[in-house]
Amino acid sequence: MARPGRRSSFGQRSSLLLLLPGVAYLVLFFLVPVGFIAYYSLGYKPALFGTVATDRLSFDRYAEVLGPTFLATFTNTLQIALIGTMLCLLLGLPVAYWAARHLSSRSRNIVLALILLPFWTNFLIRTVGWVVVLAGDGWLSHLLQTLHLTSQPLDVLDTRGAVQLGVVYNYLVYMILPIYVAFDRTDPALREAARDLGATRWRAFRQVTLPQASSGIAAGVILVFIPLCGDYITATILGGAKGNMIGQLVAGQFLSTQNWALGSAVAIVLVGSVLVVTALLAGLAWGTGVLLRRRRRVVLINPLSGVAPA
Amino acid sequence: MSDDQTLKLLVPTTTATELSRRGFLRGVTLTAAAAAALSACGSSGSSAGTPGSGAPSASALPTALEKDLNFFTWADYDDPALVKAFATKEGLTTQLDVYASNVEAIAKLSAAKGTAGYDIFVPSGNYVPEVLRNNLLLKLDHSRIPNIKNLSPQVTGQYWDPKNEFSVCKDWGTTGYVYDTTVIKRELTTWADFVDAMGKEASGKTSVLEESEQLVGLYFWSKSPAGDWSSDDTAELDAAEAFILDKVAPHIKAYDSYPGAGLAAGKYALMMCWNGDARTGLMAAKEPDRYRWVLGAPSTELWMDNWTILASAPHPVAAHAWINNILDPDVSYKDLQFHSYNTGIAGLQEKAVADKLPRNDVIFFTDEQVKTMSTYKVGPTLQRRLDILQKAKARSAAG
Repeated sequence: MARPGRRSSFGQRSSLLLLLPGVAYLVLFFLVPVGFIAYYSLGYKPALFGTVATDRLSFDRYAEVLGPTFLATFTNTLQIALIGTMLCLLLGLPVAYWAARHLSSRSRNIVLALILLPFWTNFLIRTVGWVVVLAGDGWLSHLLQTLHLTSQPLDVLDTRGAVQLGVVYNYLVYMILPIYVAFDRTDPALREAARDLGATRWRAFRQVTLPQASSGIAAGVILVFIPLCGDYITATILGGAKGNMIGQLVAGQFLSTQNWALGSAVAIVLVGSVLVVTALLAGLAWGTGVLLRRRRRVVLINPLSGVAPA
Repeated sequence: MSDDQTLKLLVPTTTATELSRRGFLRGVTLTAAAAAALSACGSSGSSAGTPGSGAPSASALPTALEKDLNFFTWADYDDPALVKAFATKEGLTTQLDVYASNVEAIAKLSAAKGTAGYDIFVPSGNYVPEVLRNNLLLKLDHSRIPNIKNLSPQVTGQYWDPKNEFSVCKDWGTTGYVYDTTVIKRELTTWADFVDAMGKEASGKTSVLEESEQLVGLYFWSKSPAGDWSSDDTAELDAAEAFILDKVAPHIKAYDSYPGAGLAAGKYALMMCWNGDARTGLMAAKEPDRYRWVLGAPSTELWMDNWTILASAPHPVAAHAWINNILDPDVSYKDLQFHSYNTGIAGLQEKAVADKLPRNDVIFFTDEQVKTMSTYKVGPTLQRRLDILQKAKARSAAG
């Protein structure tokens, strides 16, 4: 028994060794910087042209962040992020399903390429593109006025609506791709079996295909929601004063006010609240799943006795 | 040389340690010579951050120009055609990097500790003392900038640098506003009118400068009687904060330091702006008569931006050559037309009036007008002002 034991301990050791680069990477480029941010958030701004000092630690910066002025920005941000994620899901899910299920493999590649094409362009340029489209003297505004659909020039820029539109456009692809992959991997045989057993198309989708794609949906929601909460480019370019987001507050504290302590505290509160909201969403999804499974429990006929179990 | 006396005081702390570590033993009796040698070493095209690249004397510079020149300045502030012409003439490559505020720029340069790699820096006058306190500047060699004589006495010898040892005027300007007469049909003349209109006809259609000093300045300029906008009084600043958050922030469409570009697009009905930006916008507008420029009253800002050379400049010879080039009256006249600010070169106003330069009333101001302008003195409460700007932004979004 000694040999297999030794072998397994060697296997364990080598797998630990294999983990090392990944762990080192995470520690050096994630935990250490985030640790510094957390540490800085307990400090203060020492002088006008100093950025942070940590010789006196306190939670004062958190009190500042959680005061009424900045809290409003947090609520705005979460609202934009939640609505944005929901819109991305509503738009992305049908597109992903259609691409994965109803297209020949040739046209599927073309559609995927078309979806990805804008993402070969810089994020900033794409967002500025919307400024051109939405401008009061832009082509869309002229077109709408020529067609007498509106009497006034478009007044969308520098509003929260413009930010909402911008984030949906910028993050949609991160919703479509994972859901597409999940739909693509579902087993067509299961769907056929459902149809054979009398399920309607809609029921087969709802009860067989969709649950199989749930991991893709979860991935999509996380990939859209988390970066969206920290986005500041879209809000800076499209939002004006009304579409202010928390990312701009962080950037403002770090870049213009040069108050790294307060900026760090805002960032930590942002990370914390994103984690809490994500956990709540996950809990909600899990809870609905449990409820649905309970309601739709399939009662199997015992093949031996021919009688349903109690 | 008295220059060398000053030089010893101005060695940046970083360079001072380099001096004591590397150059002290061999140079203790030759302080001035060592410094000169160091500055020569810093200017011989070697990369920034080498020991001595921060030695702030230009007296021992070589005569030959370096191959590069790096600018650290405000966005859209230099005529690309002039920069290109200079680069072609002198056979060098230029690079340009921009910043949006003095605080940002100074923090960046001090954090870089002399390795930023920039040559030319354009701080506003009221921040020059802070820049000098951080030992960031090279003492200008006036023999390399003979065109300095072209500057009008009005713009030389300012309080931040009485002998222009470290800085010369790039241009100066003031703050006012522009409004759309199709939206605001009454005549506005003062800052109080501005605040009144932004709460009424122009609510949600107004832009303000994305600058803490001017935003808070709005309180001091618009109240009656107007207050000192450099005030460090806590009670005054509390009142200013309440005023900005309640009366101003809810009506703001955007914090935009360059609304002139939006003027042509009809983006705002009322915009607080610097005069040069206003003129650029008015010149580009399709219906310029629709918009009216108002100089802030009864009192308003006076600012001056200055050409300086960084102590860590890798290319100080080229930097001197650039400053001398831009102070040439013909070059300066083109520069003035590009950014629409008064460059302070004597005779340009007369030339502009003779040439009937359009809207020159937004570039040049009468002595009576200048008397109503004052400069914000950077003081201990600047941080408070920066905080008010951040709070105002949060409040604008909440409304």
